Amino acid sequence: MTGIHPPGGPIARRTVLKAGAAGGLGLAALADLAACGNNGGGSSSKSLKMLYFGEQAAATQLQNRLQPQISKLDPSIKFEISAINGTDWNDFLAKVLTQIAAGTPPDIISVATEGLQLMASKELAIPLDDYVTKDLSALKEYFADIHPALVESMMYQGHLWELPDSFNAGNMFYSTELFQRAGVVPPSENWTLDDFETAATKIAKFKGINAFGWVVRLWGSWTSFMYANNANLLEEGKYDGGDWLWNKAYAGDPAAAGRKGGWKWGAPTANSEGTVEALNYMIELTKKGLSPSPDVGGGGTLQGLFASNRIGMSIGGGFWAGGLTNAGMKNGSFDVQLFPKWKSQRHLFGAGGYAIFKSSKKKDLAWEVLKLLVKPDTFDLVFPGNVTTPGRKSLVTAARYAKTGPKHWSVFYDTLTKHPETAPIPAPPYYNALATALNQRTTQAISSGDAKAALDGLQSDLEKAAGAS
Amino acid sequence: MSAAAAEVPAAITRRRRHPSSHREAPFGFAMIGLSCLFVAIFTAIPIVASLGLSFFSWDVISSPQFVGVENYQRLFTDGPVLKSFGVTLGMALAIVVLQLTLGLALAVLVNQRKLVWIRTLFRTAFYLPLLASTAAVSIFMGYLFDYKFGVVNYYLGLLGIPNVPWLTSGFGAATTIVLIAVWQQVGFTFVLFVASLMSVPTDVLEAAQIDGAGPLRTLFRIKVPLISPTILFAAVVALINAMQLFDQPYIMTKGGPGSATTTVTISMYQKGFQNLQFGYGSAIAIVLLVAILIITGLQFLAARKLVFYQ
Repeated sequence: MTGIHPPGGPIARRTVLKAGAAGGLGLAALADLAACGNNGGGSSSKSLKMLYFGEQAAATQLQNRLQPQISKLDPSIKFEISAINGTDWNDFLAKVLTQIAAGTPPDIISVATEGLQLMASKELAIPLDDYVTKDLSALKEYFADIHPALVESMMYQGHLWELPDSFNAGNMFYSTELFQRAGVVPPSENWTLDDFETAATKIAKFKGINAFGWVVRLWGSWTSFMYANNANLLEEGKYDGGDWLWNKAYAGDPAAAGRKGGWKWGAPTANSEGTVEALNYMIELTKKGLSPSPDVGGGGTLQGLFASNRIGMSIGGGFWAGGLTNAGMKNGSFDVQLFPKWKSQRHLFGAGGYAIFKSSKKKDLAWEVLKLLVKPDTFDLVFPGNVTTPGRKSLVTAARYAKTGPKHWSVFYDTLTKHPETAPIPAPPYYNALATALNQRTTQAISSGDAKAALDGLQSDLEKAAGAS
Repeated sequence: MSAAAAEVPAAITRRRRHPSSHREAPFGFAMIGLSCLFVAIFTAIPIVASLGLSFFSWDVISSPQFVGVENYQRLFTDGPVLKSFGVTLGMALAIVVLQLTLGLALAVLVNQRKLVWIRTLFRTAFYLPLLASTAAVSIFMGYLFDYKFGVVNYYLGLLGIPNVPWLTSGFGAATTIVLIAVWQQVGFTFVLFVASLMSVPTDVLEAAQIDGAGPLRTLFRIKVPLISPTILFAAVVALINAMQLFDQPYIMTKGGPGSATTTVTISMYQKGFQNLQFGYGSAIAIVLLVAILIITGLQFLAARKLVFYQ
């Protein structure tokens, strides 16, 4: 082979100079785009742009449905919803940030708990405090219908950054068919971890079936066991403030007692006794043959395995009702119960909602659209087919789950109302780094069988990430 | 200068002035220009932009801050990232060695077949995996090699072999990913070797046969030296590809378990796109580029002694 030769000196120099100039321009362009993401941008004067986590078909349907109402507010405005597909909120968030970097920030964005503090800390969105205060009477019905825990999860440093419309708490789904075959009595709402393990042991006797399946991620993973063990990855606290909302929108509501200005995630506690104990429990489940080694990611495979009756139990939220139905499961072949009690029956949850981008030039109009988006009749347009749990209690009804199941659908909202200690997932401003480290250290623990060493590593990772943020 | 020698430049001059050459020249420049434009837009500018960005701290959201060589200093003290370089190098070496060995073995075997349709059939069969989407293959392989529910362990179970942790143990995951990468890429090496083996002069092979050389001796003493330039080319291309391994480990293991299959490109992706440290991610990319250049340079140095040019 003789075809590869280093270029001659003069040519190489010219090439380098040209490439350098071009690269410099590229870098300057990147800087401009970054500036645009922070200060300028927003959609054109004729359109109001929204980013949406889901399928474009549903986004277009929602867009067409809301357009007449938006035209009443401003006839010259075209409402545009761009759907972004992703395996989970982490994936969605990465793609949203790429769009921002590309210089096309939206006016409205749907963001889940995972990205809320990142967005707020970087001031990508605006606090909704003034808008809410101004329109409090119009929103009275909304706040009366939505649990304060969800609203508090959308607060950061005393300000409200999003209007929540959906949530998912980590409950326990189970296959009624496998429970029946194994002779296991369906769990009651106050079942314990011992009950869980007894049921799992009976189900695991069937060849080719795993009693309990889970995936490695922050929401509804071994972290659910960690919450039930009264432990967390980060020190828990709350920001001061929020009285402007609690005293007015939730006056006299006992569920709002003690609510403050949002969750304040402090120093990492990833290698605390309770956390190590929770992860060790998962390792023991694997060793006992009650649970397979978990995958990392969104949980699509897990739902498929569950739907084909190859997994007896798994952690899921309201979104599993739609997911399992879409995967071919019949109503009645699965059910749900609260997460089993360990040291407590504390659940974790993640919420979704809408924020207004700081760069938007039509903030007032965006606010009007936000109010439309959280109206009861909009929910099923945004989330067709029970693919998440409604944040409004009035929407969590028997009629909603009549076709898909599960039978004990009331568990979804009971998680918030009957267990006030239930808390959002620990998603600080450095959530992305936390999620990456958590995934890596969890798989390390499962493959090595050494939870303590893996969580010592996670502790170190989180300390670095917290320091860098 | 003899008359014959003097006629050669004249002939070249005549050819150069042929009217069709004049018509073809702009077309040729346009084609080359188009390629150069694509290389500039999609390769050169991004590389230089990445080099520039590696001296900044940039989270996409805020404006970039110049930090000098801080990203590079951080990289050389960042244990997990340094480990990812080790993981990548180990996996890349395994992939290259297996890819070349298997590609050569398959090419030799197929070339020995006399029937053309059999050679065509095997060439197509071995090349097909290369045409499949790596992402689709990785998802599919992830299912096949699943510890509990995978088809591979199912059939091993029928033979009485206990489940193998293909993707859930460090060594198992690295090995499985290497094997899958080799399976998918070996077709390229194979086709190169098949073509190269066919160009080995038959008179040389016949001479070796007359001198009493057996098939193995002919292979290692005659064929391999004669196709050594192709082997070098295949090794360089395979190593450059393997050093940028991303799809298979990212889709199948997300770099796990632990960091057993976290390659440099995964580290780069995690730092840049997940942790929003685009400057640091760019620094990792530049160091990877330099590492690939150094390794490729070493390959060419070694080639001076090992490669035989006719």
